Amino acid sequence: MIRPLVIFLAVTKNWIRSRSGLFFSIMFPVMLLLVFGAIFGGGGGGSASTLFVQNLDINPDETPTQLSSAFVKALNSTKTFAIKDVPSDADPKIWARDNLGPLGGNIRIVMISKGFQDDLLNGTLKVRVGISYSLLNTTYQYFAPYLNETEKMAYEQGLAQMRQYNETLPDSRTSLTLAFDASDQSATVIKNIVINVANAFNYHIIGATSVIEFNEESVTGNRYGAVDYYLPGIIAAFIMTNGIIALTGNTTEFKRRGIIKRLSITPLTKFDWIIGNVLSQTLLSLMLTAIMIVVGWIVFSVQVIPDILSIIMIFLGSVMFSGLGMVLGGLVKDVEAASALGNAIAFPMMFLSGTYFPMEFMPSYLQSFSRVLPLFYFSEGLRYALIYRYTEGVLSNMAVVSALAAAFIIIGSVVTRWKEK
Amino acid sequence: MTDSVVEVSSLVKQYGNLRAVDGISFELHDGEVFAFLGPNGAGKTTTVEILECIRSLTSGSARVFGYDVTKGEDVKEIKKRIGVLPQDFSALDKLTVKENIDLIGGMYKKKLGTLEVIKLLDLEDKAKERFENLSGGLKQRVGVAAALVNDPQLVFLDEPTTGLDPKARREVWSVIDNLKRLGKTVFLTTHYMEEAQILSDRIAVINKGKIAVIGSPQDLISKYGGRKILVVRRGSKELAKILQDKYGGTMFNHGGDVVVKVDDVKEMWQVLSTLTDMKTDKEIEIQAPTIEDVFLKVVGSRITEEGELK
Repeated sequence: MIRPLVIFLAVTKNWIRSRSGLFFSIMFPVMLLLVFGAIFGGGGGGSASTLFVQNLDINPDETPTQLSSAFVKALNSTKTFAIKDVPSDADPKIWARDNLGPLGGNIRIVMISKGFQDDLLNGTLKVRVGISYSLLNTTYQYFAPYLNETEKMAYEQGLAQMRQYNETLPDSRTSLTLAFDASDQSATVIKNIVINVANAFNYHIIGATSVIEFNEESVTGNRYGAVDYYLPGIIAAFIMTNGIIALTGNTTEFKRRGIIKRLSITPLTKFDWIIGNVLSQTLLSLMLTAIMIVVGWIVFSVQVIPDILSIIMIFLGSVMFSGLGMVLGGLVKDVEAASALGNAIAFPMMFLSGTYFPMEFMPSYLQSFSRVLPLFYFSEGLRYALIYRYTEGVLSNMAVVSALAAAFIIIGSVVTRWKEK
Repeated sequence: MTDSVVEVSSLVKQYGNLRAVDGISFELHDGEVFAFLGPNGAGKTTTVEILECIRSLTSGSARVFGYDVTKGEDVKEIKKRIGVLPQDFSALDKLTVKENIDLIGGMYKKKLGTLEVIKLLDLEDKAKERFENLSGGLKQRVGVAAALVNDPQLVFLDEPTTGLDPKARREVWSVIDNLKRLGKTVFLTTHYMEEAQILSDRIAVINKGKIAVIGSPQDLISKYGGRKILVVRRGSKELAKILQDKYGGTMFNHGGDVVVKVDDVKEMWQVLSTLTDMKTDKEIEIQAPTIEDVFLKVVGSRITEEGELK
């Protein structure tokens, strides 16, 4: 067991002293975590989406009507939008295009039609009379058996007059128009926000309040933030890239420079060589994980605290991808081919394993494909271990990762050439 | 009992249609420096790598210390006993000289102390220097140190001075000379004639996978080197005619020198005596044949600095 340790110490020292190695193995993942955290973490006050509003419901003195103005204020109160008013005499689409600002972005326009206030008031009155009629009618039906004929007639006459009055009221519905680009992926979210504001406005006008109370709760039992959920995926993805891209590259570089050949002349076996490299990569992975979690604690106040299952999972994942790196390093001859092959395997795996994007967004055939990718099991297992604390989920993924780790090391031992043909 | 450290018999290495090593046979004796001299592609490295157990052979046999290079258990024994400086030796760039020697030493149970090897190769000042910062000559010295760390009886040095400047080359020669003094058996491959001639006890001239001749430098020179040459600098056509008439084998070259080929020492003295009688004050130079002449004779070409035939 001494020789793998000698290899482990040598390649680890060689890597720690390499600035480029340290940058791509540790600093780059940390920088990516910071970027991801800044984008998705919700901190730092992200900029609101631009929403153009053209209000055509204006008084003769050119001021907006009271209710249309109140609706725009309601939209503003969501703090989701940076509202830009479009002049009533402008073509809203052209005006919006010309006024997007230096950063550009998507065009989203809400157009408030003329008559918004009148239609809303008429429609509201009709709704209110309708609700009152319905309530009185139900009450009458309930108490009718206890009334005498005179009282019944008076009630029915009153109800009939009420219904007739309601029918004379105009059946007004006011409309809003939302215009957006079909390729705008956030448009659905924005549309739902506008609809929710409109519904809330409706309720408020007719004096109703929601009887359904909406409470939020975390499924994990802990108050994790967005970065907590991203962290296991980012850790898993970089352990994968370090194993596949970095180790494959190092192995082919050692091969090109004759270092592996020099070692193969000694009593070192190729299995010793592989184990030494895998141990070195595992140490790197544990360091990377520790640094990323500490950065997460300090910068994003993440809550995750690795337990023993998480550490075992990281160890096994690292062994699995180091093993895969040794397989690729054994197969390819030159550094350029190693880099191309490593990237060709790592990047699709990164995006198809649900690490960065939820698999629910993918077509079903891609979801099936994802389930044969090693990163899927590692990423899932790590998420179960670090976030959900779901032991069964961890163990089932751990079993797959362990089996693949063993398989890759065995295949690596076979394909690594210790003797020239 | 034999003192053979390496025994090779009818060794063949075939790559598709190319026969890189074509039925060669030779032995290495304990304590000698044996040189494989030949151009690039002659089969030198292939042969050495077969003996180092990192390349398979096609047919024939090769034994090192009596162990068969094709048998698994024998290979383990061979690897324990040999030291190797491969062609284009390289090491881990970010490790120091000492750490790189420790790395190779860590592979062996029986080994010399790293500091002892460092001292032996006169690398004390560079022990803490990173490999990437060393000059070519120093890198080769580290390679030799790594080759000696397991205290091997047989050391393979594959093209140890290729690409080095003349000063670095002489440093490596000095190291090889020390190995000989330490009693190590050295198998040297080279395409430098002078290197083979100066360092080796025996030389095998190899070309196109076959050994053309084998023997000590002196034997090869006397057998294949041709006659000694006596040169009279800035002579004259008249002098050339006199010597030609008297001894034959004389020519007047483009540089204005008179060149006389002599068969033996006796004839050389006779030519010198004639020149003394003529009271010539010209500069006289005696040139002995070299391994280069041997190579030219047996292969029919010379080797360029880069190792190619011309």
